[in-house]
Amino acid sequence: MKKGAGIFNLIKRIAFNLMIIFILVYLLFPFYWAVNSSLKTESQLFMTPATAVPRDPVTLEFSPTFQNYTTVLQDGQFLRGLANSTIVATSTTVLALVAGSFAAFALGKLRFRGRKPALYLILAMTMFPQVTVLTGLYAVITALGLSARISMIFSYMIFTLPFTTWVLTAFFKELPDALMESAQVDGATPFQTFRRILLPLTAPALVTTGLLAFIAAWNEYLFALTFTSIDPAARTVPVAIAYFTGAVARQEPFGEIMAAATLVTVPLVVLVLIFQRRIVAGLTAGAVKG
Amino acid sequence: MLKRNWMFGFVLLLAALTLLVVGCGEPEEVVDDPEVVEPDEVVITVAAGAVGMELELTRDLAEMYSEANEGVTVNVLDTPDMVEDRLGLYLQFFEAQSSEVDVYQIDVIWPGDLAEHFVDLYEYGAGAVADDHFPAIVENNTVDGRLVGIPWFTDAGLLYYRTDLLEKYELDAPQTWDELEEYAQIIQDGEREENPDFWGFVWQGNAYEGLTCDALEWIASNDGGTIIEPEGVITINNPNAIEIVDQAAGWVGTISPEGVTTMAEEESRAVWHAGNAAFMRNWPYAYATSMADDSAVAGVFDVSPLPAGKSGSGAATLGGWQLAVSKYSENPEIAADVALFMASHEGQKYRAVEGTFNPTIMDLYDDPDVLEAAPFFGSLYDVFINAVARPSTVTAPQYAAVSELFYNAVHDVLTGQKNAADAFEELELDLQDLTGFPVE
Amino acid sequence: MAGKNDLDSSKKSKAPPKMGFSDLAKREERLALRLLLPALLIILLIAFYPLAQVFYTSFTDRVFASGEETNFIGFDNYRRLLSVHVTELEPVLDETTGQQLTDPDSGEKVFERPLDILPREPVRYRELNQFNLFGKRYVIGATDTNFIESVQNTLTFTVISVFIELVLGLVIALVVNSKFRFRGSMRAAMLVPWAVITVVSARMWEWMLAPSRIGMFNALFDRLGIIESPIAFLASGGYQLSALIAVDVWKTTPFMALLILAGLQIMPEDIFEAAEIDGAGKIRQFFMITLPLLKPAIAVALIFRTLDALRVFDIFQVMLGQSTYSMASYNYFQLIGNRNMGLASAIGVIIFILIFVFAVSYIRMLGVDEE
Repeated sequence: MKKGAGIFNLIKRIAFNLMIIFILVYLLFPFYWAVNSSLKTESQLFMTPATAVPRDPVTLEFSPTFQNYTTVLQDGQFLRGLANSTIVATSTTVLALVAGSFAAFALGKLRFRGRKPALYLILAMTMFPQVTVLTGLYAVITALGLSARISMIFSYMIFTLPFTTWVLTAFFKELPDALMESAQVDGATPFQTFRRILLPLTAPALVTTGLLAFIAAWNEYLFALTFTSIDPAARTVPVAIAYFTGAVARQEPFGEIMAAATLVTVPLVVLVLIFQRRIVAGLTAGAVKG
Repeated sequence: MLKRNWMFGFVLLLAALTLLVVGCGEPEEVVDDPEVVEPDEVVITVAAGAVGMELELTRDLAEMYSEANEGVTVNVLDTPDMVEDRLGLYLQFFEAQSSEVDVYQIDVIWPGDLAEHFVDLYEYGAGAVADDHFPAIVENNTVDGRLVGIPWFTDAGLLYYRTDLLEKYELDAPQTWDELEEYAQIIQDGEREENPDFWGFVWQGNAYEGLTCDALEWIASNDGGTIIEPEGVITINNPNAIEIVDQAAGWVGTISPEGVTTMAEEESRAVWHAGNAAFMRNWPYAYATSMADDSAVAGVFDVSPLPAGKSGSGAATLGGWQLAVSKYSENPEIAADVALFMASHEGQKYRAVEGTFNPTIMDLYDDPDVLEAAPFFGSLYDVFINAVARPSTVTAPQYAAVSELFYNAVHDVLTGQKNAADAFEELELDLQDLTGFPVE
Repeated sequence: MAGKNDLDSSKKSKAPPKMGFSDLAKREERLALRLLLPALLIILLIAFYPLAQVFYTSFTDRVFASGEETNFIGFDNYRRLLSVHVTELEPVLDETTGQQLTDPDSGEKVFERPLDILPREPVRYRELNQFNLFGKRYVIGATDTNFIESVQNTLTFTVISVFIELVLGLVIALVVNSKFRFRGSMRAAMLVPWAVITVVSARMWEWMLAPSRIGMFNALFDRLGIIESPIAFLASGGYQLSALIAVDVWKTTPFMALLILAGLQIMPEDIFEAAEIDGAGKIRQFFMITLPLLKPAIAVALIFRTLDALRVFDIFQVMLGQSTYSMASYNYFQLIGNRNMGLASAIGVIIFILIFVFAVSYIRMLGVDEE
């Protein structure tokens, strides 16, 4: 090692850490503001200048309120919304991942005619704005007589399935063909190759894809609003939040909306963290080292 | 073997999901009607506002009706408070000709547009009560001689003003827009010394339906017509309308913040509520919120009719909600009866006393019980009786497009992109293209 | 297409097996079709009817939720949306001197008013823009200026925000992929913006961007002494689009970063070890190895981000009202507000085509689908 490399490394480390801090602030500060707002009463929200922590409008003392959280948690719709969102988003993700990874296996690793048209056909599903397809979709749902939750799960396929299929196709393709061929020589069926080689090797990608699809489904609003209109028991979180109201019509319960956003986001992230490790571990466990 | 293996898995997964979802769904289906529904019982569903008190009062009325009428259960289905979302939902129901909802709570600008989906309430005995309501609202609900909605509660623009500040600067409540402009400037100049966030006048200037309401008030109070008159004549391009809208554009950045052109009701109320404005144009709802304990303006404000322009009297845009009965209902007679009950003298009085909803029945503004519960109602009678309806019924089904052209034209003037004369000359042409109506 | 393939393969499968290779190919083809079946079934069941309906409706004058009869009107909806007319504006001359008049207020030369010369039939062309070319003044008119402007807004929004997201996403992914102590919490933090419910996040940002010191930004800038008076970020012109881009970048950079990170994670490490032995520097490694290997991940991330950005709805709808449209929010207004389902469908189809063009050009440009 040359002299001076130590100082250089130190500078590099400081720069790196500064960068991380900067990224963290950028990602988290707006969310902090949501938390801050959720701890304010209406009058505190309307204060000028806005305060970085909840303060009393007159004395300027630190005085957070938990009223917004109490109201949100006492609202049956919200808690039921959490349950509904979990059911709907999980089912959507599983279905989209299963159907998507099968399709991606074919599209990324097998040779057959009509591969490209199939890829584009799947992508075409999701190229219209939601509101445009809503009417037709509503007609389909009504004709099939599906319940609200099932309708949401199926209609969310419109945007999750093309996503999972395309992303997984891209990742499967990356894997060297030699891996598959050697497995075939060993007498493995294509499905075994899929299960034992493709899935474990792309596990991180699979989990990320599922995660992104899950959150997309979790956040969906327009379809959910329409399909659950008749069945209030099936409303998901975004819809439940849209049904939050102030004491009188037109008044927007901004603090409560922010409280709900906080209550939804934090556990979601924590859960994702826990599951992420489990799933990756599970998938990698059955791997045949390439 | 392989094929079966995964196909089976897939089907199993689907089945499991279905079970999971259905299993979770069933027991909760009936949250909204605690009573058990008898097989031969008629169920009437009322789609109504979701706001806390509003929903509660509607449920109370539904229960009253169910108790008084054996064999009928009235359910209340809450709908989103965001007006566009609510309209979007209703349209999906109508497109599917759904019989799920029997009675709809509809906005004052919808009767013309949605008339084809509703029954004529005159055929179900509304004729006996129609004269009790404000004539302008009944007129607004009448499409080709059919009464498509029964007025339920009303709304109109009001001027909120700070009594303490008027006193401090020795001013009276403004009677004209010129006075308002002058007073707002005086108060703003004085208050700015201590409070840099203070503004004279806040209102709704964003490009949306609310701006149509605000601008219509300016124009109507200045003898500038109502954009398109009830008999189908386009009148917007006239000197009085141009004058007052140019005047309003002058407020932006002087007595009103630059940002007023991005404000809706809640944004302007935020300024007012924190004590940062001398005057505010808003709907009656802000009265209750301004009286809240932690409000900076509690006890130091009052409301009055909006200022006048050339016409010598102020104008308030009519808002509010009606009940309409779906043509696709399986029991239109009973549904109409429910609607008429909810909008009856008794029903409206209950809502006025318990929730300060503004009745559409004129008598109720003299009712001692109502006045005791909401003393400021007395001064509202004049506002409502003189309220101006937006040209929604005459331009149906194109009102949304008319309004969009109008508020965008006004918004262009407010943001300084055009002057009112040019904007309204173009607007006139656009309205002609759209509606085919003649120009005055 | 799938059906045809299915028939072909079943026909062939009856033929006696010949050479091992073609047999293998056939088996592969059959397997592929079976694997695609669930996805195709879902498309058929859920998406086929709504999509076909949009295409069909775009050629009609259908009114949403109305019993009125629907007529087939060919390309009229498209004509109304896309008709553009360019014409020269004659200078206005002073009657006595013959010189071009100048506006006494602004000092600018006076031309004819576009309103007077743009065509009125069959519908009025409204002024979209003016430009100078070779000393002459021209005006662009369009029959639906709202739509043309919405296309401009959406394209600008998409190109800028997706580009920034790509760069930021790449940086964040590379940082998180290197090993450091708080990597786990960093990944969790990355999820937060993406996990906040879209509608709520739009409302939250609208609040932070409020045009007075109620808003975080105005309060902060005022505190730092950067601004004299509060800025109306969301007022027409000026900062409107920049504000929306900032919001979108915050919300969706994590999406980009996570996908790229996944691409980084499945990269075989031995390649880098080999490069290390060859003495390639870090930067060289990045451009020679990492980036090419990341192409597929970047391509899909770009495609899906662009697709979402071109359909951007919530933030325009919530934060800008009706003053500035995106294509999708104009679409929403036409369908729900105006109930003009034919026109709304045509807008949908145009968005569809635009997305398709973007998707294909990404794939071509990055060369990810070569075989």
